[in-house]
Amino acid sequence: MARRCILGMPRPLLAGVLFLFVLLFVAGFLVGPLGRSMIGDLGLPAWLGLPHPEFQLPAETAFHLFGFPVANSVIGAWITMAVLICLSYVITRRIKVVPGRLQSAFEFLLGWLYDLCRRVAGEENGRRFFPVVATIFLFVAFNAWLSLIPGFGSILVTSAEGEPVHLLRGANTDINMPLALALVSFVFVEYFGLRSLGLRYLGKFLNVGQFFRSLGQVTRGRLRAGLGGLFTGFIHIFVGLLEALSEMVRIVSFTFRLFGNMTAGEILLLIAAFLIPWVFALPFYGLELLVGFVQALIFSGLTLVFLTLAAVHQGEESP
Amino acid sequence: MDRWMAALRLVGVGFFIGGAIVLGVVAGIWLDDRLNTSPALGIVGLLLGIVVAFYGVYRMLIPLIRDKKNGESG
Repeated sequence: MARRCILGMPRPLLAGVLFLFVLLFVAGFLVGPLGRSMIGDLGLPAWLGLPHPEFQLPAETAFHLFGFPVANSVIGAWITMAVLICLSYVITRRIKVVPGRLQSAFEFLLGWLYDLCRRVAGEENGRRFFPVVATIFLFVAFNAWLSLIPGFGSILVTSAEGEPVHLLRGANTDINMPLALALVSFVFVEYFGLRSLGLRYLGKFLNVGQFFRSLGQVTRGRLRAGLGGLFTGFIHIFVGLLEALSEMVRIVSFTFRLFGNMTAGEILLLIAAFLIPWVFALPFYGLELLVGFVQALIFSGLTLVFLTLAAVHQGEESP
Repeated sequence: MDRWMAALRLVGVGFFIGGAIVLGVVAGIWLDDRLNTSPALGIVGLLLGIVVAFYGVYRMLIPLIRDKKNGESG
């Protein structure tokens, strides 16, 4: 008779794992500051707990390269790029008709993203936007996931000033990286807008046609029609200004959304691991895996939406 | 409209409002410091930020509302 399994584990093993989990949780609770403040100090050795976490909002300089300061978040970004390049090399070196596990996982992910691009932007535009959208998605997601690997944030090096600094840090938690990504997204939106509509695209921001037409009418003596038109012309110019300002605001909202969510996640993990050391932070790791995916999807998805809006003429914009 | 397009538009709304108001206020206060006009330009920035926020939200949501109306009538 086959032994009954739960979650792929025989019952006794599962019970053992659960027991160990609960034991670690209770032990963590007793040595952590939360337990100590509720129950009192049981005289457990201090090294069982964790030191008070200190989170530096600006990235620290890990070392200098050719006289340039290299921040730890930049090294995090380099590692993400290296991992992505290596992965794409390994996967595409030998593409098989019957894909292996890694190839199927990436085929599924990219196929799903490609499908999303086509559904949102249409067949032709979807194919044009896909490289930008997928690159942003992969970078943001892998950056978030890599910084969750235990040990990523624990490597310390001595800086030029002689102080210990973290060697690695998730690039998304340094505001410069989300800002750079937001600018990349902004540049691509304007580029595709200009390429698809030509100079007509700029008319969205500088809508002065009506104003000058009415001004012409006024000078020709058709006061009544001209003055009404002038008013509408003013409104058009104002709306154009608002349109231009909203493009700027998008950069800010893109930046702060990614930076805020990622930094909050990092702080949450630090605090959870500090309050109750060892296993308590595990569910939050799961949560952060999801947050990394969702933020990557939002950043790339919104880029896709704005690309689509820029590439279609205002009048033809969705039914 | 595609469900994804609608969902992504809605996701962008919240941070857009915050971003517009913050950008307006920060730019206004920065100009105030430069031109010694405190607090006039800060208030102008705040008001402009609110106007941009409302305009942006209107632009983001109007296709969704139109879509819903079309769905109801058709």
